[in-house]
Amino acid sequence: MDELHVRLARCFSAVFPSLSPARILKAQSSNVEGWDSVASVTLFATIEEEFGIEIDIQDLKALLSFEKLIVYLQQTLKQNGF
Amino acid sequence: MKLIEALEILKQAPTEGAIPFEVYMVSSFTPLHLQTFLAAELRKRNPNRSVSLSSGLYGDIRGNLTRMAQSKSDGAAIVLEWSDFDPRLGLRSLGSWDPEVTEDLLNNARQFATFLCAVLRSMLVKFPVSLSSPTLPLPPVTHYPSWHSNKFDLSLKQCVASMLVSISELQNVHIISSDRLDISSPFNRRLDPKSEYASGFPYQIPHASEMAHLHANQLLPLNPKKGLITDLDDTVWLGILGELGVDGISWDLEHGAQGHGSYQRFLQSLSRTGVLLAVASKNNPQLVDEAFRRTDLLLSRNHLYPMEAHWGPKSESVARILKTWNVAADSIVFIDDSPMELAEVKAVHPQIECLLFPKSDPAAILDLQYRLRDLFGKRSITQEDTIRQESIRVAEEFRAESANGNVISDVFLRQAEAELTFHVQKHPLDPRAIELVNKTNQFNLNGKRYTDASWLTYIKQPNTLLVMASYRDKYGPLGKIAVIAGRKERRTLHVDTWVMSCRAFSRRIEHHCIEELFERHEIEEIVFYFEWTPQNGPIQEFLAELLGGSPVAQGRLTRNCFAERRMKTFHKVLETANG
Repeated sequence: MDELHVRLARCFSAVFPSLSPARILKAQSSNVEGWDSVASVTLFATIEEEFGIEIDIQDLKALLSFEKLIVYLQQTLKQNGF
Repeated sequence: MKLIEALEILKQAPTEGAIPFEVYMVSSFTPLHLQTFLAAELRKRNPNRSVSLSSGLYGDIRGNLTRMAQSKSDGAAIVLEWSDFDPRLGLRSLGSWDPEVTEDLLNNARQFATFLCAVLRSMLVKFPVSLSSPTLPLPPVTHYPSWHSNKFDLSLKQCVASMLVSISELQNVHIISSDRLDISSPFNRRLDPKSEYASGFPYQIPHASEMAHLHANQLLPLNPKKGLITDLDDTVWLGILGELGVDGISWDLEHGAQGHGSYQRFLQSLSRTGVLLAVASKNNPQLVDEAFRRTDLLLSRNHLYPMEAHWGPKSESVARILKTWNVAADSIVFIDDSPMELAEVKAVHPQIECLLFPKSDPAAILDLQYRLRDLFGKRSITQEDTIRQESIRVAEEFRAESANGNVISDVFLRQAEAELTFHVQKHPLDPRAIELVNKTNQFNLNGKRYTDASWLTYIKQPNTLLVMASYRDKYGPLGKIAVIAGRKERRTLHVDTWVMSCRAFSRRIEHHCIEELFERHEIEEIVFYFEWTPQNGPIQEFLAELLGGSPVAQGRLTRNCFAERRMKTFHKVLETANG
């Protein structure tokens, strides 16, 4: 796993403590117990703080999986010059 | 603290046998990250507590306050914002800001303030409550430009200030200082409108973290430090005593030494609140004595004990001071202007908090005083605080005069003119009792600690007996030094808690405590709920003598057994106050 995956996995692990490392990589709101609106708010706040970015409210509904968040972060961090 | 750190703290399972600590969180907004941070802060400062937080309904501040008052929590955090005083003062309401509504807004604010005071007064505040007044900027309700202070803003803030003054008189309600919050959480970095619109949570993450930190400080305060050891030259005064002589040292504006005078005044003030003060200085002891005879010193010589002034290593001075005070190194702060001396002490006593006296930096001296207030700060000053330094001196004199180490003769004890007072009082509950129970290690039956709420619940039981003892002799007073709490069942007393200050050792007070229980409370048998701890050797030895063998979990002592094994006591029992 590259650094981006490790850091995002840490965010997932903090918000969903029962998820194993393998399940984190495949996590999406439909297959993770407890991934409700409150968990989403916590997850996105954790990611924003961890990566120093601000996620647009409009994007939130399209980012409900680990995989989609990885793609989003790769693009956003690249745009921000990281 | 970062949010991910808070979540990771909460991921860890509480330690086995952790005491539950339930906190009711009151706000009208969704507490979200604030709740996460608060739970993590509480867990971090006491891993032996299993922290759980409950919160009320969104938007129902009055209902939440009422439910909090009726709850059986161990603590509560009330987080107020302007929208609690009137929803139009929050971003999620689109109520009118027309000029004529300001009077109505003020009326609603006053009504809410009255309601909050009434709730807190009516609940008799049976557990600690931490309260923060509004922290977010007022929205631009009025027609004035933002730099213009206007009657509406001022009246609203006056309403809150009056409410806080009224609440501050209630025991067990602790208000967070907005001045302190201003330093740690800049005013313009608190509100997060995006988050408030999206999820109803109005705080930026760092502000939520700081708010949680301050609420946790109020709900589970860290134990204040007990003693301060200070250097003298270039610290208590400006100049080297051995070089300048007694008349050459200074601590005033005229000599550019006001910071040292300010430090003296601060130490004097600390001493009056029960903080132990001592000196560790590489100096000529005769010169130091002479210096302390100067009448313009702001710090009285009587407040400094022991005085270690010689040329030996300061770490050795500190070791002797710790022994005299009989306190742990982690309860102590050492202050010196020399980084080398600080390092030498730190190397030998790593648990001591060593702080540099910044002699040439007035701003840093002021910062040091703020820091010391935080380290030594306490919510109230008890009678014991006012006599603590004196009682240590008394205990030392008692030890020195008894001369034979641990074996104190009957002759010596008889001439000590000792007086014991037993207090059998549950209402009002003396806060000294739980303070002593929660900080005593050596003569402690089982090391059991209590939260304010659990202590109150225990003591309130009709069959609970609470006895405190205070002591004085011809050498001076020791104050309230022992607490016994137990459940009386017919003629048996089940002692759950028994502690005695180490300053009161060697006076046979423990024997008289048991005599008091048998004689005045119609008891035939005492069951001691003893548990071994790494530090309670003194009570283990005492119980071993009394029970005729190593103490066990529920050792029993009958009146006859006690009569056979007890030691003779010479205390005069002055009075027994019942309440």
